[in-house]
Amino acid sequence: MHFVLQLIFSGVCVGAVYALIAMGLSLTFWTTRTLNFGQGSLLMTASVATVALLGAGMPIAFAVLLGVLLAGGLMIVAERIAIRPLLKAGDSMGWVVSTLGLGIFLQGFVSTVFGSQAIAFPSLVFDSLDFVDLAGVQVSSQYLAVLGLSLTLMVAMELFLRRSAWGRAVRAVSHDADAAALAGIPVRRVIVLSFVASGVLAGIAGVMVAQITGTVDPGFGFNLMVLGFVAAVFGGMGNTAGALVGGVSLGVIEKLVGGYVSTAAEHGMAFAILMVILAIRPQGLFGRKEFTKV
Amino acid sequence: MRNSLTFLTRTPVVAALLVALGVAAEFASGSTVQIWSFLLVNVLLAQSINVLTGVAGQISLGHAGFLGIGAYGSALLMKNLGLPLPLALVAGAVMGGAGGWLLSFAAGRVREFYLAMMTLGFGMIFYEVVREWTSLTGGVVGLSGVPSPSLRTLMLFGWRIDPVAYFQITLAVVAGVVWLLRNFITSPYGRAFFAIHVSEVAAGSIGVPRAATKRNAYTLSAALAGLAGGFYAHLVGYLGPETFGLHRSVEALVMAVVGGLGTLTGPVLGAIVFTYLPEKLQVFAEYQFMVYGLILLLSFVLLPRGLAGLLLPRPRFSKDVEALPPPPPVPYTATGTGPLLSAEGVSISFLGLRALDNASVTLGAGEILGLVGPNGSGKSTLVNIISGIYRPGDGVVRFDDGTLTGLPDHAVARRGVLRTFQDPRLVPSFTVRENVLLGGHRLYQQNPLAAALNLPGALREDAEMLGRAEAILAMAGLSHLADTPVRDLPYGDQRMTELSRVILANPRLVMLDEPAAGLSEGELHKLGGLIRHLKAQGVGVILIEHHMDFLNELVDRVVVLDSGKVIYQGGMAGMYRDPAVVAAYLGTETHPGESVHA
Repeated sequence: MHFVLQLIFSGVCVGAVYALIAMGLSLTFWTTRTLNFGQGSLLMTASVATVALLGAGMPIAFAVLLGVLLAGGLMIVAERIAIRPLLKAGDSMGWVVSTLGLGIFLQGFVSTVFGSQAIAFPSLVFDSLDFVDLAGVQVSSQYLAVLGLSLTLMVAMELFLRRSAWGRAVRAVSHDADAAALAGIPVRRVIVLSFVASGVLAGIAGVMVAQITGTVDPGFGFNLMVLGFVAAVFGGMGNTAGALVGGVSLGVIEKLVGGYVSTAAEHGMAFAILMVILAIRPQGLFGRKEFTKV
Repeated sequence: MRNSLTFLTRTPVVAALLVALGVAAEFASGSTVQIWSFLLVNVLLAQSINVLTGVAGQISLGHAGFLGIGAYGSALLMKNLGLPLPLALVAGAVMGGAGGWLLSFAAGRVREFYLAMMTLGFGMIFYEVVREWTSLTGGVVGLSGVPSPSLRTLMLFGWRIDPVAYFQITLAVVAGVVWLLRNFITSPYGRAFFAIHVSEVAAGSIGVPRAATKRNAYTLSAALAGLAGGFYAHLVGYLGPETFGLHRSVEALVMAVVGGLGTLTGPVLGAIVFTYLPEKLQVFAEYQFMVYGLILLLSFVLLPRGLAGLLLPRPRFSKDVEALPPPPPVPYTATGTGPLLSAEGVSISFLGLRALDNASVTLGAGEILGLVGPNGSGKSTLVNIISGIYRPGDGVVRFDDGTLTGLPDHAVARRGVLRTFQDPRLVPSFTVRENVLLGGHRLYQQNPLAAALNLPGALREDAEMLGRAEAILAMAGLSHLADTPVRDLPYGDQRMTELSRVILANPRLVMLDEPAAGLSEGELHKLGGLIRHLKAQGVGVILIEHHMDFLNELVDRVVVLDSGKVIYQGGMAGMYRDPAVVAAYLGTETHPGESVHA
């Protein structure tokens, strides 16, 4: 019984991170109907940069902050060279290829500089052995912290999108960019903002996952990006509550499959869920069908 | 540069090059022949992804999965069951094709990046299955002992195949496949792939069934990848899961993108570059991944049409046949007893907004009906319902003694109900002539095999269609632009091209959505001529138009819609005096404050 509860609990925690990644992906999807296929590399770059800065003797808070900001900054580059020129050219799916290229480039860069082996990620706040006793179940403090931070960030993002002027601008651009521009909203800046925010969320998620797993390697972000995407699709692209339900269910299923079947089946299962959802309900479990005007 | 290299694509030159390459292999070193064989496998793989992504517009990030199905399928059948090489290769292609066909049912439902993610998922699942299914595939250790020419273990009809002979066999097969592919892509089936790529709605409007066409594209593409996989398996003699991971799918996409999507020469150029580039990059092995990433990142910006677009002239998308003189037009005679078209009590709501409310319209053969009303009154919605794009909530549409309600758009088009769009929806890279030929889609009788083999019957049909297209182009005043890609043409010419496409389809009913918008006086005159030509052929015409003078000269009758309701039917003259119409356009004193529509 304890084993099940522990699996479920760790599933909920990593699931919350998936939801955070999903939210990052949804942000740029809202404003430009694109998303960064190199998002996984961004997660990885943020956590590797954090390790490197810590290694250089920087205080923890600064190292994490700079790592996360680097991810945000790289998204400005992504938007500028991998997305904007290709959206202007129209018709093609070129941005999928170019953002994938950016991701591969970052992955190649990191493996050239740091090698392709896994790098140890130091404990930042809690040690990996710290735990809290919750109703007789030993709950890892790191996991608990990750869950708390993820939920806080998601609530904050949701409030920002609903209450602040910039958040409303993001929603206006997502609804109709041309109409938003006519209403005096600086669409260009809103789009760049959404990319930066997406990168920052990815960076935070990367650092959190690295903290839990204890190591990072150049290929580490790819599966996370796919899991984030599955969570986003599960809940319906751009629906925060849906992403949270999607991410958490995915995390729990993944841990249960990993615990009772085999860890090798974990990944295949996430992809299988993705394909089934896309085939049956492309708009997600909570999403509303999009209307396309002919 | 472009024109000086044109000779490279001429058939005799290509044939001579191929023969030279086959002979040269006898004298080349073993490692050179090995690389050439790899190049051929890559050519097939790049052509495969080009068919799906470049031609039919369905992005694939999981092509290594199809390659792997063919490779493992062919290798295991030969190794375990002793199937001879030709059968094993064909079986690999069939298994790959079957995989593509199955995937198309799920993948055909999604588009754009959802599709990218789904194909990515397919590729990853294949990779995981190969890793875990140890008893069949050898798992991570891999599958060794596949009969291979380099080990001198590959036999064909009792003859031991050496690497040179294997290369020559591969060369002959790849050349044959590319020839078939060229014929197929320049056939109506290939043009339908391009139509689906650009706009599924526009493709449906000329009778191209979207689900079936996508299914064909997936099956064909996956079969080609499966064939490439079979050749690969016997070339190397060992298969491991790492060969079929994501990086291989990306590599396939890169070859096609850098070479030039949507052309046949592009994938060949891309395969050459990416077979030799890794060799050259060996020195910089650690930067290889970064270079790949950079190429992917920048290729669309720097080389939007790939190497083929840079070096070679624009490819043709129709066969090089001599046009046959068109048959004299035969006017339709009504087959049914009632009117040609009758929409009865049609209603539809969008998210609570009632766009059409119990609207009824009838039209006879050879009649021109004007559909008039303020913006948002439901004119386009009515046309969309008749053409099968929307399904009405209530009401029925009858056409020529049959019922259209509930039919998908391509089936409606196949019955002879054709339409144009407010914004012309053409294939931008096609010439005017190629776009017009698309309209013939519902009339072609040839089967895909005859098209790919250039059988006389198929070529004759192409020649007849071309003859009819030339006649229509002349009538529309577009003959001098026939070889210009439509993306380079002004709006008016694009509209006339779209209308010519509809006329080539031999329509029984034509619906034109604001055809006069943005046309010059001269173009309006030509448009009027084409519409009168349709009328003379016994075709029923529905015209949505705001240009009242233009309507006045053409129409037999008008129907006025307002807020989804029919408020007037009858002659133009009566329309101006009708109080309901005047109220809809100008507002009335009894309803102060009501907005005035343009």
